[in-house]
Amino acid sequence: MIYPPAVSSAHFAILSALLFALAMAGLFLNRKNLIVMLMCVELMLLAVNLMFVGFSAQWQNLTGQIMAMFVLTVAAAEAAIGLAILVVYFRNRHTIAVDDLNSLQG
Amino acid sequence: MGEFAKRHQSPWPIIVCFALNFSKVVALLSPIDFLFYLFAGFTLAAGVGVITARNPVYSVFFLIAAFLNAAALFLLAGAEFLAFILIIVYLGAVAVLFLFVVMMLDINLATVRAGFVRYLPIAAVVGGIFAAQLIIMLLIWQQSETPPTLNALGNSPMNQPNNVYALGRVLYTDYFVAFQTAGIILLIAMIGAIVLTLRPRAGIKTQVISQQVSRKSSQSVRLVDLKLGQTHPTTAATAPTEPQEGSA
Amino acid sequence: MLATYLPILVFILLATGLAGGIIVASLLVAPRAPDKEKLSPYECGFEPFDDARRKFDIRFYLVAILFIIFDLEVAFLFPWAVSLNTTGVAGLLSMLMFLGVLTIGFVYEWKKGALEWH
Repeated sequence: MIYPPAVSSAHFAILSALLFALAMAGLFLNRKNLIVMLMCVELMLLAVNLMFVGFSAQWQNLTGQIMAMFVLTVAAAEAAIGLAILVVYFRNRHTIAVDDLNSLQG
Repeated sequence: MGEFAKRHQSPWPIIVCFALNFSKVVALLSPIDFLFYLFAGFTLAAGVGVITARNPVYSVFFLIAAFLNAAALFLLAGAEFLAFILIIVYLGAVAVLFLFVVMMLDINLATVRAGFVRYLPIAAVVGGIFAAQLIIMLLIWQQSETPPTLNALGNSPMNQPNNVYALGRVLYTDYFVAFQTAGIILLIAMIGAIVLTLRPRAGIKTQVISQQVSRKSSQSVRLVDLKLGQTHPTTAATAPTEPQEGSA
Repeated sequence: MLATYLPILVFILLATGLAGGIIVASLLVAPRAPDKEKLSPYECGFEPFDDARRKFDIRFYLVAILFIIFDLEVAFLFPWAVSLNTTGVAGLLSMLMFLGVLTIGFVYEWKKGALEWH
């Protein structure tokens, strides 16, 4: 018989790795859309949280969950500031493509 | 499925067998394992949706779906409080913030999608390599450990008497520095958002209630004696000024 | 613990099943006569001037950001309220410090007029 392996923290880790890689691919795909790139960063932080929670469950240690809470806090702050910068950028340049962020290249 | 798989040692018949007997395999899973695979699959599918959706509004909705399914996974791993924080903060606030921004900027959808196909190979390669590295590392690491199955995790000893209580017991004292740092990060985010987006508006008239209330009748009402058919020289020229309306 | 969430799971399954069933039923049962004019925007006899999408005001965004910050603050208050009988004075002082830091931000935004809606 072929049993699918019983779900453990390793499954969480692999899911997290896949989600992180997916979000990373998304960063490359959406070079013209800064909003979706920010969403990809949020997905990456979610992947990190999944890893934290999975390992917290494996080692029966709450530190993982507490770190995940702080990651959530930082992610929310990052979304707020990132989107604020995006709004100011759009107001000045009328574009949201990262390729156009080249004013400092001289 | 047993007979077919036993006779062949190559993995392919097993994989074909697995695909053919998918329903039987699902029946073999314990309910919690089934839920894990279900929610994990939805999370990844929603992630694919986020990065490939044509319209950024759809991306936001896929992001919401990904966070919802991740919250369900958190529940399965025994992180009850985090699951609900994820729903309240992310679905209730961050996703709405993203929606606001998408709605606020009038983005040309055609230019936003340009270059998608051009970057597809490099994105696939980088993502694939990264995923492969992480998974290989995890598989090698896992061989020396036998992690407990998820069925045992629901009622885990770390969550006694319950998850929220157990978190609160350590969060504010043992993790004091991290907790205060989180507060400072929130403060900086608040100030940064105001500094970046708040613009003083010129030429607006605000209502100053205290001025309005403390206004005397002598300042605003004037009794003028007029003969029939006669116009008062000052009222005809200028409208009465209203002292309570100052600029902000 | 997970057993207490069974009703939610049942609810989700029922809702998904019902929604999917209705969509499939409407695909099967409803009469369909696709027409280009049905998809075109209708604007009282003349061609539409511009896009139907309206831009939101930036002030909504500022309010949403401030909401996120205070949402997280409240999220940190929940475990504190539940476990205050064990954390005691240390927990109380810790939370007072946290709230004090955020109150500085609140005073700042009040003074800057970010909460005014003019």
